[in-house]
Amino acid sequence: DKLTRPWLPVSKPIFSVDIHPDGTKFATGGQGEDSGKVVIWNMAPVLREEDERNENIPKLLCQMDNHLACVNCVRWSNNGLYLASGGDDKLVMVWKRAAFIGPSAVFGSSSKLANVEQWRCVMILRNHTGDVMDVAWSPHDVWLASCSVDNTIVIWNARKFPEIVMTLKGHTGLVKGLTWDPVGKYIASQADDRSLKVWRTMDWQLETNITKPFSECGGTTHVLRLSWSPDGQYLVSAHAMNNSGPTAQIIERDGWKTNMDFVGHRKAVTVVKFNPKIFKKKQKNGSTPKPSCPYCCCAVGSKDRSLSVWLTSLKRPLVVIHDLFDKSIMDITWTLNGLGLLVCSMDGTVAFLDFSQDELGDPLNEEEKNAIHQNIYGKSLAITMESQLSSTIIENPEMLKYQQERQVNQNPNEAQGIGPESQTPKLTNVLNGESLEDIRKNLLNKQVETRTADGRRRITPLCIAQLDTGDFSPALFNSVPILPGSSASTQLTPQISSDSSTANSLGLRPSHDPTTTSPNKTAEENKDSATAAVNSIGMKSNLLLTSASKIEPMKALDSRFTERSKATPGVTSVPLTIGITPLDRVKDCSSVKEPKGKDETSSDSEDKIMVKSMAKRKGEMEGAEVVEKRKKGRPRKDAKMMPISQPFPQVTFLLSKDAWTSKSMDGVSTDGVTYLEVENEVSVVSGSRLSQLKWSREGREWDALLPSRIIIAAGSNDVVAVACEDRTLSVFTACGRRLIPSIILPAPMSALHCSRHFVMALTASATLSVWDVQKQTALVKNESLNPILSGTDATVSQSFLTQQGVAVVSLSNGKTYCFNSSLETWNLIADKQDSLVQCTDFRNCVSAQDALGSMGPLALTQGRNLSAGRLASRLSSTPHHLQQGMTLAFLEKQLSSALVLLSASEYRHWLLIYARFLVNEGYELRLRELCQDLLGPVHKSSSSSWEPTVLGLRKRDLLTEVLPVIGQNLRFQRLFTEYQDQLELLRLK
Amino acid sequence: MAKVQVLNVSVLDNPSPFGNPFQFEITFECMEDLPEDLEWKIIYVGSAESEEYDQVLDSVLVGPVPAGRHMFVFQADAPNTGLIPESDAVGVTVVLITCTYRGQEFIRIGYYVNNEYTDPELRENPPVKPNYTQLQRNILASNPRVTRFHINWEATMEKMEDSENVDPAPNAMLPPTSMPGKAPPLGLMPDNSMDCL
Repeated sequence: DKLTRPWLPVSKPIFSVDIHPDGTKFATGGQGEDSGKVVIWNMAPVLREEDERNENIPKLLCQMDNHLACVNCVRWSNNGLYLASGGDDKLVMVWKRAAFIGPSAVFGSSSKLANVEQWRCVMILRNHTGDVMDVAWSPHDVWLASCSVDNTIVIWNARKFPEIVMTLKGHTGLVKGLTWDPVGKYIASQADDRSLKVWRTMDWQLETNITKPFSECGGTTHVLRLSWSPDGQYLVSAHAMNNSGPTAQIIERDGWKTNMDFVGHRKAVTVVKFNPKIFKKKQKNGSTPKPSCPYCCCAVGSKDRSLSVWLTSLKRPLVVIHDLFDKSIMDITWTLNGLGLLVCSMDGTVAFLDFSQDELGDPLNEEEKNAIHQNIYGKSLAITMESQLSSTIIENPEMLKYQQERQVNQNPNEAQGIGPESQTPKLTNVLNGESLEDIRKNLLNKQVETRTADGRRRITPLCIAQLDTGDFSPALFNSVPILPGSSASTQLTPQISSDSSTANSLGLRPSHDPTTTSPNKTAEENKDSATAAVNSIGMKSNLLLTSASKIEPMKALDSRFTERSKATPGVTSVPLTIGITPLDRVKDCSSVKEPKGKDETSSDSEDKIMVKSMAKRKGEMEGAEVVEKRKKGRPRKDAKMMPISQPFPQVTFLLSKDAWTSKSMDGVSTDGVTYLEVENEVSVVSGSRLSQLKWSREGREWDALLPSRIIIAAGSNDVVAVACEDRTLSVFTACGRRLIPSIILPAPMSALHCSRHFVMALTASATLSVWDVQKQTALVKNESLNPILSGTDATVSQSFLTQQGVAVVSLSNGKTYCFNSSLETWNLIADKQDSLVQCTDFRNCVSAQDALGSMGPLALTQGRNLSAGRLASRLSSTPHHLQQGMTLAFLEKQLSSALVLLSASEYRHWLLIYARFLVNEGYELRLRELCQDLLGPVHKSSSSSWEPTVLGLRKRDLLTEVLPVIGQNLRFQRLFTEYQDQLELLRLK
Repeated sequence: MAKVQVLNVSVLDNPSPFGNPFQFEITFECMEDLPEDLEWKIIYVGSAESEEYDQVLDSVLVGPVPAGRHMFVFQADAPNTGLIPESDAVGVTVVLITCTYRGQEFIRIGYYVNNEYTDPELRENPPVKPNYTQLQRNILASNPRVTRFHINWEATMEKMEDSENVDPAPNAMLPPTSMPGKAPPLGLMPDNSMDCL
C-alpha cells in the first residue's frame, strides 16, 4: 500500500472526512478560525502526484464558514447531490451545489482562497439542544439521521426537510455515532451511556440494546463512529472493552451476538469504517478458480493515533500503521472503488492510503453485491439502483437521443459545455429579454429609489435570484466592474453566456422597467468588448503597482478597515418606514391578480346543486336537505334538517351551470346563474291546488304550472326535472317545453339530479333510476340500493350524477358506490376508511401539471386530496414491498374507478401516475401489459376485440404519453424502443 | 449566522476625476426575509491621522429585502473638499462601505484610494493648495478588505443594541487570537478579519 499525506494547510482540528460518491472530491469538517468549517477538496491531487504539482488543478474547491461552532461530521448523500454537516452549534446544515460551474473569489478574500465550486446551505435543521456529533444518510437518501449530546437521535425526512420523522429517545448519555443498516431495516447508535442500540426503521422502536462489551468503557472519546458491513451481516462498534483492553466489538446481525472483536489498539477506538465493497479472493492466473467466500474489509482508527485495516476472512489485521498522526484519529472514509482510504485526525491533517487489488482482493460488482443481498434478505434492497443504471449501456440511438434530450432539459445550466448551438435558445430565454449584463449596465438608472418620511434615501434592491430555487450560484459575479464603454472584461467574457443562461433558470424577477434588449446583441457586444477589456486590465495592473508601493507606509489606515465605527450621529436609529415602492406594487399586483381573477370566475360559476333528500325508508333515512357547494372540486356539506312531510311553500333553487360540463371544469364558465324557483299553492282552481315552477337565467325566464305540490326540483343546462307529491316526475327542456308526459314513480322522490340530458331519481323506497331523456332510454331501471345498504346502518348521505350519466351514491359510512350500467352492478369507488388509501405513497409519481387533470367525479367522491400519502410519510417505515403493493393496488383501483365513472380526464390522470409508478418500481410485466393494451394489434384482424379508444381517448395517443415516462428508466429501454417502433410503424401506415 | 452575506462589490466609474460621485454596485444575499431595512453608508476617510476628518458621504436604506440575492448601486457624492486637510488630499486614503441592521454594523468593506494628479507636471510639483479639478481618484478595487462582525439579527434583546454603540474594545483591531473552540461572545469581536496580508 501507499501512504500519502495530502497538503491540507490546516492546523485546526479536522473532525470528519467523507469522500463524495463520485470520487472526485471529499469534504472535511472541523474547527475554523472562530467558527466551524466545512471544506470541499479536490480528490485528483490526492490521487496523483502530477496533479498535485499542477498549479492549474485546484486543490480546494469550496469552503463554508456558516457553522457557528466546530463541525463534528460531514456526510455526502448517497446520490452525491447533498452534503450534510453537523456541529457544536446544535445545527445540521444541508448543502447543495449551485448549478453554475465556474470559479469565483470569495468576496474580500485573496485569490488563493477562491471557491472553485459553489456549495450553499439549502437547509438548516434545528432541533437538537446540544452539539450534533454524527449525521448519516439512510440508503437511498430517504432519511437523514443526526445524533447529539442531548442524548437523542433525530430522523429527518430527507425528501421533505425540515420534517422530522421521529426522535429516538432512550440513550442516557451523549450519542456519538450512527450507522444505517445497508438493507435499510435498522439504524444503530453508540453513546457514552455504555450502550449500543439498534432501532428498527419499521416502527422506530428499539430492536436491541447491547451493553455488555461497553460496561468497562469510560466516556473519553470525542466520537464513537460505528459501522455496518456492506453485506449487512456485521455491525462493528467503536470503543468497547474486552479484558480491560480496548476493542472494536463485532455484533452479528443474526441474534445480535457479540462473540468477536478487533483487538490490538492501545487506546480507545474512535472510528470504524467498512469498505463499501464486498471482496472475493483474487484469482491468480493459471490457478484453478477455487470457490471462496466473499468477505468484507474494515478500517479501525483509534485514539492511539494508529490505524488498522482488517479483512473478515483473516484473523490478523491486513495492515497496521502506527503513529500516523500527532493526535487521535477522528474519521475514516473509503473511496467508492474500495481501494483508497482517507483518514483525518484531530491534529488537522488528512492521510491517504492506497491499496492494490492484490492486497484487498477482487471487489464484487453491484450485481453480485445485489445477489448477495437477495440471497440473505430475499428481496433486493434496490428500488431503482441508480448505480446500476448508470452502468447500463444504452442500446439504441433512439433511446440515446431521448436520454440526452432529457438531460438537456433537466440541467440547462450544465449543458453549456455541449456546444454553441445549445446556448442560443438559452439566451433568448433570458427574462424580459434582458441578460444580467444588461441589467447591470442600467441598474443605477433603473433601480427604484424613494424617500422615506424623514427624507432619507431608500433603495429597493433588485432581486436577481430567489433563495428557495436553490439553484443559483454566487459565482455569477466577480469583482470586475463594467467599465465605461465596454460591457465586460476578459475575466467576465467566458462567463457571459453562462451568466445569462443561469439567469433564466433562476427565475430572474422582471425588472420594473420592461425594456427589452435583444440578447443576441449582447453577445455580440461582449465579443467586441473583449479587446477593450484587455486594455483596461493592463491599465489596472499598472495602477496596482503604483499604488501598492505607496500603501506600505499607510499602516495607520489599516485599523480603519476592522474597527467598527462609532455610531455616526444622525443615522443611528433606523426609521421603520415601509413604503411601497413601485417594484413592490408591481410584484403585488401580479401576484394578487391571478388568483383573484380565478376567484371571481369560480365564485361566479360556483355550482350550487340543491338536493332535497327526502328519505323515508323505514324511518332510517333522515330527511335532509343537502346543499352542496362545489368550489374547486371540494365538496362541502351543509346539512339542514327539514321535515319531510310538509312541502315548502316557496323555495328558490339556485342552479347555475351543470356541475360537470366541461366548461366549468376548465374554470372558464361565464354563464350567469340560473334560478329555479318553486312556489306551491299559488292558486286554487276548482278545488285543486296548483304549483308553479319558475326558471330564470340572464333575464330569460319561463314558468310552468303543475297540478300537485312540488317536493323537489333539479336542473342542468339541458333539462329541468321536478318531482311532485303525487309521485310524478316531469321533465322540461331548458326552454320550458315538456319533454315527457309525467313519469309515475314507484315511491316518493328522495333525491333528484340532472346532468346534461340525464336525469337521476332516487326514491324513498331505495331504488335508483337514470334516464337519458334525449334518447328517451333508461340507463338504470329501478335498481335497488339494497346490495349496498343491507347489513349496514348507513344511510345515503350524498348522491350525484356525472356528466356521463353515471349515478354515484355516497353512504354515511364513508363508502361511495356507482352503478355500472353495462355490468348492472354496484361498484365501490371510494372508501374513506380504506387503509390502502392511507398507506399509499405515489407522490413521487405525481408531477405538478397533473393537479389539473385530477378533477372530476372520482376526485369529488374521494375528497380530492384523498389524504393519500399523508400518512405515508409517517408510515413509510412500513416495509417497502408492502407499501409498494398497497400503492399498486390503490392506483389500479383508481384507474378502474375512473373507467367505471366514465371520467376520461381522471382516467388519463391516473394512467400516467400508474405508469410512472410502474416505471419507478420496476414492474415490467404490468408495464408491458399496459402498453400492449394501449397499442392494440398492429395489423388489422377481424377477430380482434380491441377497442381503439377508451372513454373517448385514443389509446395510442395515451401510449404516446406513457412512453416518455418509460424512457426515463434505462432499465426499460427495450420496452420503450419496442413500442416506440411499433407506434412509428402505425403512424407511417 | 449572519443573515446577510455580501457576495460582491463592483467599483463603477473607476478611476475617475476626484469630483465624480462614488458608485458601488453591491450584490448581497439574504437568508430569510428581513423585517427591517438595511442601512448602507459610504465613509470617506479624510485623513489617516484622525477619525475627525471622516465624512459620511451618504447613507441609504435598502429594502424591502426578501430572502434571495439582490443587487443595487450605491451612489454618493464626492467628499466635501473643504473638510479634507490639505496635506492629505493627495496620496493614499481609504473609503469604507458599511452596512448596519437594526443599528448594528455587521460588515465593513474598505478600499484603498489613491488620489493622484494625472498631469506629470503637477505630479512633479504638486501645488500647496490641492487642485481638486486635476486630481484623479483611483480606488484599488481588486483589493477590498472585508471585516465582518457578529450582531444580533433578531429584534429581541434591547441590551444587545446598547452594547453595539459602545466603543470597540481596544484589542478589537488585533488579529483574533486562536479562540479555543467556541465562538466569541456576540457582538464584541470581529468574527472574521479576512485577508490581512
